[in-house]
Amino acid sequence: MKKTKFLTIAACMALAFGASAVAGDKTDAILKEAMKVDVAKTCDPQKNSVTKLLAVAKKYNPTAVKLGVEFKRLGMTTTQYIQETQKALKAKSKTVTLLDKNGKPTDKKVSVDYAAERACKFAVRALQEYVDAQTTYKLAIPGEGYKY
Amino acid sequence: MVTRALKLAAISAIATMSLFAGQYNQQAEKDRQALIKYFVAKFSDPVKNAARFFPYTPTEELKKNYRPVKDWHEFAKGVYSFAKGPRQQYLELIEMPPYEDDVDDGEELYNSTKGLKECFPKPAEAAVEYPKYDTKKHEVVTLTMAINDCVVKHGGKPWNPYKGKIAKVEAYFAAQARDAGKVINVKIPNAEAEKAYEHGKKYYFSQRGYIDISCANCHVQGAGKRVRRDYLSPLVGQVTHFPVYRLSWEELGTLERRLKGCIKNQGQQPPKPFSEDMRDLIYFLSYMSNGMKVDGPDVRK
Repeated sequence: MKKTKFLTIAACMALAFGASAVAGDKTDAILKEAMKVDVAKTCDPQKNSVTKLLAVAKKYNPTAVKLGVEFKRLGMTTTQYIQETQKALKAKSKTVTLLDKNGKPTDKKVSVDYAAERACKFAVRALQEYVDAQTTYKLAIPGEGYKY
Repeated sequence: MVTRALKLAAISAIATMSLFAGQYNQQAEKDRQALIKYFVAKFSDPVKNAARFFPYTPTEELKKNYRPVKDWHEFAKGVYSFAKGPRQQYLELIEMPPYEDDVDDGEELYNSTKGLKECFPKPAEAAVEYPKYDTKKHEVVTLTMAINDCVVKHGGKPWNPYKGKIAKVEAYFAAQARDAGKVINVKIPNAEAEKAYEHGKKYYFSQRGYIDISCANCHVQGAGKRVRRDYLSPLVGQVTHFPVYRLSWEELGTLERRLKGCIKNQGQQPPKPFSEDMRDLIYFLSYMSNGMKVDGPDVRK
């Protein structure tokens, strides 16, 4: 009985450690990939389809949310830009309705291209900034990297 | 014999702990001193040091609108320490402070809300006790969080962490602390707390959001400069006056509310009020105001 209990606990711990290690590896891999993305080219709606831009946004944004660095612009988060653009595509609309801070539609509209471009750029740039900040933040600290 | 050995071991352990106890704040203290030195250099003579700190501000504007600040304690007043015009407006405004009723309401809430007197027997102490690193919970606890935990623990529903009742109770605590001449004294008791401090510091100095700026871009390097008509406050002294009555809010708000707005302005989804990011950020900011008198509640634009 004791042995079974011990083995169960050990297995659970191994699983938990393993899962967190895999999750960490996944995040690192996404961050590495994001650093290689040329945002101007990849997120250009003239060169890529809206669906492709959304796919890029959906790939990178969950990591930005997880790391607490998701962008917010005009009261909308990247997640909302992705969702609202998807809704517009489904409804075959050429415009995306912007939401207010409570998530309710406003009377402001932007083109689908514009919303998709924003979603794509925001998702990738959030991660690129995050990686850059790991080393650059010290340059702004008086007494450390900041000279005046 | 065994008892003697145990006593000796206990004494040695206590001695060793006390020897290292003060060391966890070494880096934080170094940071605080470096910031004070920077801000005093910047504001002690803005005209003379224009080339170093205000290269794009016309000399006439520096002469007309800035007053020199040589004592770093004055930074507790934020932009009103150095900006002549806003300072004058502020001095006129506080002749009849708009938050006075809120302090009274806070006292009433303190007396009538179940559990608050037990959790915070000395209101003036509560204002300077937090944020603190809770060695049992292994996390930073802010005053807003502690008040809400207390209310919930005694059967109440959690209060809005940004405004309303919680801000009023905090205003009462702060007013009591100010009257008692309390000084901010945040402690870093162990290695975990030091880690939390470093996390908060990293958050403050990291560029983020749509605009790709850090808090420091505005409140360290940018402190004293203008964004349109508004001057930017220095990091040192940024938490002394909370909760604050902001004219733009037309009511009292907590530090969490102000930080939420600031981070949103950077173009990022702000962290939740009791998230690790928010709590550690408040821990860092509060340490940077160590040694300054509590000056809240107060008014800001």
